[in-house]
Amino acid sequence: MDVIMHSSSFLLPKLYQPVNKPVKNYALVVLNQHLPRFMPRLWDHANLRICADGGANHIFDEMYQITNDEDKKSTRNKYVPEIIEGDMDSIRPEVKLFYSSQGSKISDKSHNQETTDLHKCISRIHHCTPDDEKPNLCVLVTGALGGRFDHEAANINVLYLFSDMRIVLLSDDCLIRLLPRTHRHELYIESSVEGPHCGLFPVGAPSTSTTTTGLKWNLSESKMRFGSMISTSNIVQSEKVTVESDADLLWTISLRNLT
Amino acid sequence: MAPTAPTQRPTMRHSSAFLLPSTAPSSPAPGPDDAAVALVVLNQPLPRFAPLLWSRAAVRVCADGGANRVFDGMPALLPGQDPDEVRASYKPDVIKGDMDSVRPEVKEHYSNLGTRIVDESHDQDTTDLHKCIAFIAENYSATNKSNLSILVLGALGGRFDHEMGNINVLHLFPSINIVLLSDDCLIFLLSKMHTHEIHVEKSIEGPHCGLIPIGMPSTSTTTTGLRWNLDNTSMSFGGLISTSNIVEEDKVTVTSDSDLMWTTSLRK
Repeated sequence: MDVIMHSSSFLLPKLYQPVNKPVKNYALVVLNQHLPRFMPRLWDHANLRICADGGANHIFDEMYQITNDEDKKSTRNKYVPEIIEGDMDSIRPEVKLFYSSQGSKISDKSHNQETTDLHKCISRIHHCTPDDEKPNLCVLVTGALGGRFDHEAANINVLYLFSDMRIVLLSDDCLIRLLPRTHRHELYIESSVEGPHCGLFPVGAPSTSTTTTGLKWNLSESKMRFGSMISTSNIVQSEKVTVESDADLLWTISLRNLT
Repeated sequence: MAPTAPTQRPTMRHSSAFLLPSTAPSSPAPGPDDAAVALVVLNQPLPRFAPLLWSRAAVRVCADGGANRVFDGMPALLPGQDPDEVRASYKPDVIKGDMDSVRPEVKEHYSNLGTRIVDESHDQDTTDLHKCIAFIAENYSATNKSNLSILVLGALGGRFDHEMGNINVLHLFPSINIVLLSDDCLIFLLSKMHTHEIHVEKSIEGPHCGLIPIGMPSTSTTTTGLRWNLDNTSMSFGGLISTSNIVEEDKVTVTSDSDLMWTTSLRK
């Protein structure tokens, strides 16, 4: 079985990248919720930044508060997304005008009410990325968790619908990734920025056999199912965690207080 | 054993009337025929309607650090009132859990007022919510269980493994009506063993809603009362799930071969 290696080095400052790990190409998608406090770090890593509709309001309003820059205007000029995409029912007109004048491409998808804003953004990235570059691409998403539960569920479903892409959903408290059952997974833990709390969840369908290494309570061909046992409040105990399962699993790890 | 045909399943009725503002001048105590409401407060900031739900509840349980949230948060939600008076009148009946988050002075304050402190630090196998639900189910079984609703604050958002663990508690107690609430939405489990009638309080809930098959795909779900109804429709992660749906009627019905999470948005 092929191995997928996962690493959260995007949470480290760009200068402090670990040696001997493949350099990833990052894209950033900003959804319509308050920005996590480490947003500048994600922005720095990304080669492509897409605001989904009202996500642009949050960049406009909150970036200078997070960076503590005194000059609001120059901060706004510095953090300009390449693309603003979605049905445009949340973005404020003055915000859209500002970014448009700064060179952001406005991609109005209001005719398409079938898919969520995140789905549209991921679909665009999926479409524009050649297959041989997909393994090297990691899409970082902020604002996908919390808020309305149906939005959160739809955002998690995007991970399943685009399971050939590496997508990470981030909040102030944690990150989540999908670990497809088609591969063995090696998760390289950056313990200065993530952990120790973690978990594994068979959200789509039960697992009859999951095996892990590197956790305080490892699974050994264990069954997992909602309504029975799922792995919550587990603890990362090694720099490398491995997971192999007969079911697609959601992996989550808590984030340390990143400033 | 063959699955029960949809028409043979008993109907379970759901209502969010507990969220309606009280029209009486003082907090109404639940009458003998009313649904009994229990409130569990977990360790996250209180939603804005916490005082209303507190007044509706016959019993209030704080899970560990949830007691901090009540101590700090209730006076903040009731700024016109004296904080000490608020803390005295919004006093939990029980503080339960492993006690690693509740501040010592908060624990002592409520203990002095008569709150029962139940230390479960020896039990690390179950989550705080699990312990609280089990406790309420055991201690208040005098109440007709089918009339009991357990409302939970602070179960959503925050650490995702906590949220998943809390959702799993709904699956572990499928015969108890447990509702998880946040500022933005509420969720509860629709067990496959029943046909469900959901009475939507349109003044406070909706219009957005969703049906989500957590843990198991659904091969057949049928609904009425939604803008985009399901008709023997399959749902699964990796396929279709019903999100950003709209409640059209006051009554929504759901029948499914699989357990589903129902969610509605809450109006601001």
